[in-house]
Amino acid sequence: MREFEYLRPETVEEAIALRLKHEGCSVLLNGGTDIIIQLREHLITPEYVIDIKRIPGLKKLTFSKEEGLFIGACVTMNELGDSEAVQANYPFLAEAAYSVGSKQVRNRATIVGNIVNASPLCDTGTPFYVCEAVMCIASRDGEREVPIEEFITFVRKTSLRSDEIVVGIRVPYTEGARGIFTKISRRKEVDLSTICSTVLRIKDSYRLAFGAVAPTPIRLPKTEALLHTKTLTPELIEEAAKLARTEVSPISDIRASKEYRLDVVEVAVRRSLERFMQGGAA
Amino acid sequence: MKYKVNFYINEEPIELYVDSNRTMLNVLRDDLCLTGTKEGCGAGECGACTIIADGKPLNACLVLAPELDGMHITTIEGLAKDGELTELQKQFIKHSALQCGFCTPGFLMSGTALLQENPNPTRDEIKTAIVGNLCRCTGYVRIIEAIEETAEVLRGGGQ
Ligand code: FES
Ligand code: FES
Repeated sequence: MREFEYLRPETVEEAIALRLKHEGCSVLLNGGTDIIIQLREHLITPEYVIDIKRIPGLKKLTFSKEEGLFIGACVTMNELGDSEAVQANYPFLAEAAYSVGSKQVRNRATIVGNIVNASPLCDTGTPFYVCEAVMCIASRDGEREVPIEEFITFVRKTSLRSDEIVVGIRVPYTEGARGIFTKISRRKEVDLSTICSTVLRIKDSYRLAFGAVAPTPIRLPKTEALLHTKTLTPELIEEAAKLARTEVSPISDIRASKEYRLDVVEVAVRRSLERFMQGGAA
Repeated sequence: MKYKVNFYINEEPIELYVDSNRTMLNVLRDDLCLTGTKEGCGAGECGACTIIADGKPLNACLVLAPELDGMHITTIEGLAKDGELTELQKQFIKHSALQCGFCTPGFLMSGTALLQENPNPTRDEIKTAIVGNLCRCTGYVRIIEAIEETAEVLRGGGQ
């Protein structure tokens, strides 16, 4: 690792001031499970590392039916997965959080970090896409909220400006919504997704989001439109699975070929919808 | 630049000056000569560097040295007290849950953290607790059995 200065602000304001002061030559350190590896491999060589973990308030994790779920920037994967409110109201999100890395990694890695990294295959991305979660962003000029779909703009790119900090994610609550999370990976544990997806049902409409099939996680609007207000039948599910395949644009990489991913998208749509048809979703 | 850190290592308070661009694992092994904690991958994949920080298992290779400030760390050296091995250590021996031993400190820390948090784990919970620990030699079954029997003994149900 190259040398850098380690800074530990105590308030969000102080963190923003440091970001401004060291614009272009600093990184934010949260759980560190990605950043420390990037530092070690010299993929990034910042002059300043700004550790936001000790800022009081960023550990906030709250839920109410009216306000939905709020996940503070420093909430870890395990803290989210262990939360009773999350298990009761967003079980597919808890499942996604638990699917990341190992227990040791999940004790450090944060949910917000997973999103801000903006990897196309981020495991916690698709639950947030179907819930239409909103990123809460603070800057010198106050707070703004950005829908997650507009926040992640490309592979490892976000619309976060260099003088801003994500303070949390707000996840709306919809009464009666049911979700199914799927992760397909080469080995069951401690692996990155080859494909991940979440299918959400709200009454008789559906939302589908996939990861690792495009430069960002994506929703499948045509498939959603096809399913809208219809009753699931084996024929409709088959049609939806085939249509889903046309809405994604995966690439071949070390984890899988493009063709494999296309097939797996079909399989994931089919299996998720079949579980809904059989009434099996949590 | 050096950063002053105050933390507890195996219940002993300690004050050190550390470089920002080193990890907790470097500090444990090189500065404190606690070489029981191993470096396998240095990237959060193998679990050989597992320690318990504030009650939770972490990879010491994924923590920057200045972050140690204020932490309570237990390493493999902190398990046995006055030469008496812990039950989990004894069960690892009884079950021959190790061969080359390189992964063993990590497994013992993951197992210890699990049993502190959950004295009555299911087989699946044991597996989840150790998925972040790789072993090239044992095939894992004996490790799982050693953790299972430790839980039984600690609950007073052992033979
Ligand atoms: S050395 Fe830390 S996980 Fe492998
Ligand atoms: S005993 Fe050799 S790696 Fe586990």
